[in-house]
Amino acid sequence: MKKLTFILTSLFVIITLGIITSSCSESFLDIKVQGGETIDADPNLATKLVTGVYNSLTQGDCFGNGDVHGWAFTSLTCTISDDADKGSTPSDQAVPIGDIDNFTLTSTNKFCETIWGGHFNGIGAANQALNALSSSTTIDAAQLKEYQAEVRFIRGYLYFNMVRMFGAVPLVLRVPADLEDAANDPAYSTRVDASIVYDSIARDLQFAIDHLPIKAQAVTGHVTKGAAQAMLAKVYMYRGDWPKVQALTDAVIASGQYSLVSDYATIWRQAGDNNDESIFEIQTGNFNNANLKIDNYIVSQGPRSGGKGGWDDLGYGFNTPTTSLINAYEPNDLRKAATILFIDNSGTHKGTVLWDGRRIPSSDSVQNLYYNYKAYTSMTKETFKIVADKDRPKNVRILRYAEVLLMNAEASLHTGSGDATAQVNKIRTRAGLPSKASVTIDDVWKERRLEFAMEHDRFWDLVRQGRAAQVMQAAGKKFVAGTHELLPVPNSQIILSGGKISQNFGYN
Amino acid sequence: MMPKLLFFKLLFLVCISTYGQRTVQGTVTSKDDGQPIPGVNVVVQGTTTGTATDVDGKFSLSLPPGQNTLNFSFLGYVTQTITVGEQSVIDIALATDTQTLEEVVVVGYGVQKKSDITGSTATVGGAELIRQPVLTATQAMQGKVAGVQIISSGQPGSSPQIRIRGVGTTLSGTTSLYVVDGVLTDDISNINTADIVDMNILKDASSAAIYGSRGANGVIIITTKRGSNGKLKIDYNNNIGIRQAANLVQMANSREYSNYVQAATGSAPATSSYDTDWYKTILRNAWQQSHNLSLSAGTDKSTYLFNVGYLDDNGIVVDNSFKRFTMRLNNEYKITDQVKFGLQSSYANSINQNGFNNINIDAYGNVGSVYNDAYRAAPFIADIVDGRYGNTSAYQNVGNPLLDIKNNSIKVKEDRFQGSSFLEVKPLPWLTLRSSIGADLRNTLSRAYNYQFKNDETTFLVSGGNQQNTLSNLSVRNNQSFRWVFDNTFTIAKTFGKHDIVFLGGTTAEKYKFNSFSASRKDVPADPDLWYLNVGDANTSTNDASGDAWSRNSYLARLNYSYDGKYLLTATVRRDGSSRLPGKNRWQQYPSFGVGWILSRESFMQAQTVFDLLKLRASYGKVGNDQIPTDSYIKTVALNLPYAFNGSTSPATNGAQINQFKDPNITWETTEEYDVAIEFGIIQSKLTGEVNYYNKKVNNALINKPILYTVLDADHQVLTNAAVITNKGVEVVLNWKDKINENLSYNVSANATFNKNNVVSLNGGLPVQGGGIGAAQGFVTNTDVGHAVGSFYVLKKLGVFNTDAEAAEYVSSSGKQIQPTAKAGDFKYEDVNDDGVIDNKDKQYFGSYQPVAYFGVNLGVNYKRWDFSMSIYGNIGNKVYNGKKAVRVLGTDNVEKDMVYKRWTPANRSQDEPGANTGNLLASDYFVESGSFARINNLTVGYTIPSESLERFKITSFRVYATSQNLFTYKKYSGFTSELPGDVINSGIELSAYPTTRTIAMGVNIGF
Repeated sequence: MKKLTFILTSLFVIITLGIITSSCSESFLDIKVQGGETIDADPNLATKLVTGVYNSLTQGDCFGNGDVHGWAFTSLTCTISDDADKGSTPSDQAVPIGDIDNFTLTSTNKFCETIWGGHFNGIGAANQALNALSSSTTIDAAQLKEYQAEVRFIRGYLYFNMVRMFGAVPLVLRVPADLEDAANDPAYSTRVDASIVYDSIARDLQFAIDHLPIKAQAVTGHVTKGAAQAMLAKVYMYRGDWPKVQALTDAVIASGQYSLVSDYATIWRQAGDNNDESIFEIQTGNFNNANLKIDNYIVSQGPRSGGKGGWDDLGYGFNTPTTSLINAYEPNDLRKAATILFIDNSGTHKGTVLWDGRRIPSSDSVQNLYYNYKAYTSMTKETFKIVADKDRPKNVRILRYAEVLLMNAEASLHTGSGDATAQVNKIRTRAGLPSKASVTIDDVWKERRLEFAMEHDRFWDLVRQGRAAQVMQAAGKKFVAGTHELLPVPNSQIILSGGKISQNFGYN
Repeated sequence: MMPKLLFFKLLFLVCISTYGQRTVQGTVTSKDDGQPIPGVNVVVQGTTTGTATDVDGKFSLSLPPGQNTLNFSFLGYVTQTITVGEQSVIDIALATDTQTLEEVVVVGYGVQKKSDITGSTATVGGAELIRQPVLTATQAMQGKVAGVQIISSGQPGSSPQIRIRGVGTTLSGTTSLYVVDGVLTDDISNINTADIVDMNILKDASSAAIYGSRGANGVIIITTKRGSNGKLKIDYNNNIGIRQAANLVQMANSREYSNYVQAATGSAPATSSYDTDWYKTILRNAWQQSHNLSLSAGTDKSTYLFNVGYLDDNGIVVDNSFKRFTMRLNNEYKITDQVKFGLQSSYANSINQNGFNNINIDAYGNVGSVYNDAYRAAPFIADIVDGRYGNTSAYQNVGNPLLDIKNNSIKVKEDRFQGSSFLEVKPLPWLTLRSSIGADLRNTLSRAYNYQFKNDETTFLVSGGNQQNTLSNLSVRNNQSFRWVFDNTFTIAKTFGKHDIVFLGGTTAEKYKFNSFSASRKDVPADPDLWYLNVGDANTSTNDASGDAWSRNSYLARLNYSYDGKYLLTATVRRDGSSRLPGKNRWQQYPSFGVGWILSRESFMQAQTVFDLLKLRASYGKVGNDQIPTDSYIKTVALNLPYAFNGSTSPATNGAQINQFKDPNITWETTEEYDVAIEFGIIQSKLTGEVNYYNKKVNNALINKPILYTVLDADHQVLTNAAVITNKGVEVVLNWKDKINENLSYNVSANATFNKNNVVSLNGGLPVQGGGIGAAQGFVTNTDVGHAVGSFYVLKKLGVFNTDAEAAEYVSSSGKQIQPTAKAGDFKYEDVNDDGVIDNKDKQYFGSYQPVAYFGVNLGVNYKRWDFSMSIYGNIGNKVYNGKKAVRVLGTDNVEKDMVYKRWTPANRSQDEPGANTGNLLASDYFVESGSFARINNLTVGYTIPSESLERFKITSFRVYATSQNLFTYKKYSGFTSELPGDVINSGIELSAYPTTRTIAMGVNIGF
């Protein structure tokens, strides 16, 4: 028995010493992250990061971490304007959207915060990708330049949105090594003058023009030389540099890559995805046997059940067209019925039959009288991975050939060269309207409003034209000239920067 | 005369059946309170033959021929020697040994005399826990221990949340560490309460320091039952009862609803002859039952205990149920006086059908909820008529709650093996070597099936509406985790004159591995036999998986020193290494010191008669918390961020981002705690008590620190050690026990905890927002310097506008109309910064979910064969955010009855309730309510049938009892319950809480 005790005691000592020595070697505690890919583990990372930059364009987390083309985007580009109302029921989303619609918005407005956040997410992703591309050894030189051009296009586009919405913004063009680096570099916490931001945008887009293929040679969905030219033209239009606008739009027209499609209404259907007129659009589709969409873009704008209800409605009923927009159309303008989904208010209860045959009930069962037809998706005539999902995918058209024509026209009126009337008449003809003998700036601006109605352009176009206060006040909004041409910088960012990030005039 | 006659008959039987040997039996009770004492050693004097008393203090022993004397001994009691003589039943009462108080408690890697303890610990006995018809021992502990707050949802199969001495982090890692027979775990829902001998709670840092980085949230050590030396003992316990919802919220009926909607919208809603009480529709009175059978026996060399338990809890929500089957086998073998080994093993199988949290998912995967729908659904819609449902969603944007339940079948099945084995060698009388290996294997299989149904007239009374599921869906998930822990310790125990020394040293190593796999397919037929993925449409397949692994390695040492039983010293140090932290911060030391002075043992105290016990103790300790995600410091790539190149119909291209900033210097949260206490016993130790003060400070609490959006991070925050959080408090415990006469004894104990939680610093970071509940509400909690973690932070209502003119006249100092859209009957909010707009900058603090104080009162009375016990638990000063009321988003949503009658009207100018409205109110203190409550947690009456009358059935003890859990609650809160488990920054918000349930049950305890 003593022997057993001795043996067991010895065994205990041996095992314990064994543990102490083996764990002192540290290997016991060296456990790699399970299922979490680290940066050095993937040789194709740079290529994936480029796709990841495109992915950032589909952010729609408007109440959370970031929005680029979701509900915050539609609110801050359409609802804010005289083309659209908040919609839904009066109390629904009075904060933050009612505040945007009425210009009672403050620096704690959630949508202003998430649009700022979403854009910087995308800019950060672009910087990450550029960083990875510059050190990549596996990608050949030409391909590398093309990738860099794609990423810089997106960075330029995101900054263009930012500078239009907020004016001066922090100009971040590199990845911080760590938090300390970010804290020490003033770039992350200082707004630089809008002109400096515009210069950076122009550099990014020029690089894109120099290294991107034309549409015919590009894979669908990738940005192209034409997109970069059109985007840069628009940037110069906001700067009032009309010769450059004209030169760039001339180049796009001369490239022969684009043309107006005959039926305006089909542009926003799946059949119109990446059509001949499309220059830059945000792609959606499917992934992992599920819908790949911009969250809330469709469902927030879908017609909403109201009154007697009793039908399976399409969404939350926001961003509804105004009577001001409806009244702006000339008689027989084909674009009116293609843009506005009219709810039957005739009392005959016929309802509204849509292009795919779907019937929407009449006004006693629907919350609002008008909805955005350009945000309608068909459950029967379009294909989706998950049809039952009310928030279905839809490509968001950012730049169409029609805009190139109208930019070209506007430039012509400024420079005196080119044929503005001819360009405007191309647009009018397609809309089923008679041609004009001559056009003024006001004609071009009106055509822009109707051609791009509910396409996220109107409000910022008015600011560019310098008549935002006039038009907004006429529309009965509490617009204060000198303040509301820009959005408030998110309060959280001002606090986080220790006050180094400043607020726009008139907000507190 | 009958019992006496029976007694003689029995005596006769015993005499002939065991010639020469005879059986002696009886009950051992405490002289102080008459309560039975389990575990008393009963030994035939001069031999090794003996046994121990069972849970009810009963023993039975064969007296060898020629032997006539028994010794009864138990720590903390005076040993008694009884001459048996001709008696066969010996009932004795042991007196407490006030001089020594030698009760031994488990302290982690060993035991210690209770009197020697210098830290703050508490013990709850298994007998006290098993009395309550609840699932987990944790819940049964509610109100029993000062400093330990238990928050339970009452939902079948759920584990309650436990907070020891306040909240010391802003992240979710606040769970206390459980140590079950040496196995470390964070969930004990697999442990049958009937298996538990006792639970020892290590509350302060000095006593938890032996668990180092695991001890920050306190440690609960659970010891399971062993067999004892003696013949086979069989115990059967059960209880069968009924559960029902307590404290339901009264909703408006059809007529009231119609009036309110008309007032709010100006037009009357549709009407019908139905008047549905939706809570009645989805709730029921539910049966619950539990059964336990245990067999135990032993000899000098080996003991065993085998226990099987079955619990069946039908939830109060229709179709919900939880079933658990448990088995335990604990063996111990003594090879020689120097060597023993043992095995504790348990298996638990549980099935949770339609668990309440699991059915909060609608057909689109959105979070809806049955309760939320029941709260909102209009009363004039029928629930179900002839198998067809009332169509709530055709009228309003709310699903039919009953259909929510009926069209989902969600089953979560868990198998869990947990056990440990040990080997103990005593090569020298003063040296003990112990090696133990514990393991915990969990396998969870979840299966969710969503039935296909259309919004037509086969499903509904009228067609239309949003509630439909066009394609059935089946999703499955399998989680598997395994952890092992290997402890090797040595203990030196020596006494030199008046010096008592116990030294413990050792190592532990622990490893954890987890993996999870999930998949789904659509279009699976409704037959449950076909609920396998292969039956579904492969074109709709999705799958996902993830894994985790970590390890820990530690060295520990503890010295207990006492001089003359009066002066006490404890010193502990643990050195911990964790794989979850970066190399340079990987190892950390956790020291602690404690001193104690038992004044009542001093010679100068012997003359006084007031104090039977007077002890002062003080301690300091440091513990840590490494409950952070494994990849917290390593930069990883976020995968599967695709983009749809090639058009919308072909699958998108996979992409990636490096969108999480990581703090490479992340380190352990370290808690430092000072603890001082006085323990006393007066009036012949009838009154004992303890007053404790603690001051706990977390110096580098991990928080998700918000960072500038210009620094790419998908959620705009980085996990870093930045916050300083304190918890300061006082705990008071008083126990009174007395015996009036032979027939009547009683005891009362009361405990109260006062805790103040405060964020001292965020190191320049932004406050952490929490409680984002959607609608117009935004975030309703804020964690900021100078306030408790997770404080409610909302607008202040100043009253209700009585006229439109009053609203128009409400202007800022610059003359700006503050609430331009307000009209009569709307709330008037305070414009704190006087900028003429109401926004987030006007928010103010309105307390937090953390109670100022919580208390428990426990009463026990024994009268003859009757026993009666009652326990009360309460919270004071905590706030609740009435989230379900706050997220009323539609004018057609139902309202609470109170809102109908108390609302502002031009005639009734209430300043507390707004006029009839269509919801979407701003977050304000209107929704912050007092969460204070007091509840009779448990009320039990038992009767022990005289054992003589049962002898012929070989039954040695038979008790019948009736018990009620949550019999009555006194509360101010207008909702279901103010006990709302949740993350530390999102707690105390009632969105769709499971209502508290009341249980009434009957049961028996039978011993053979």
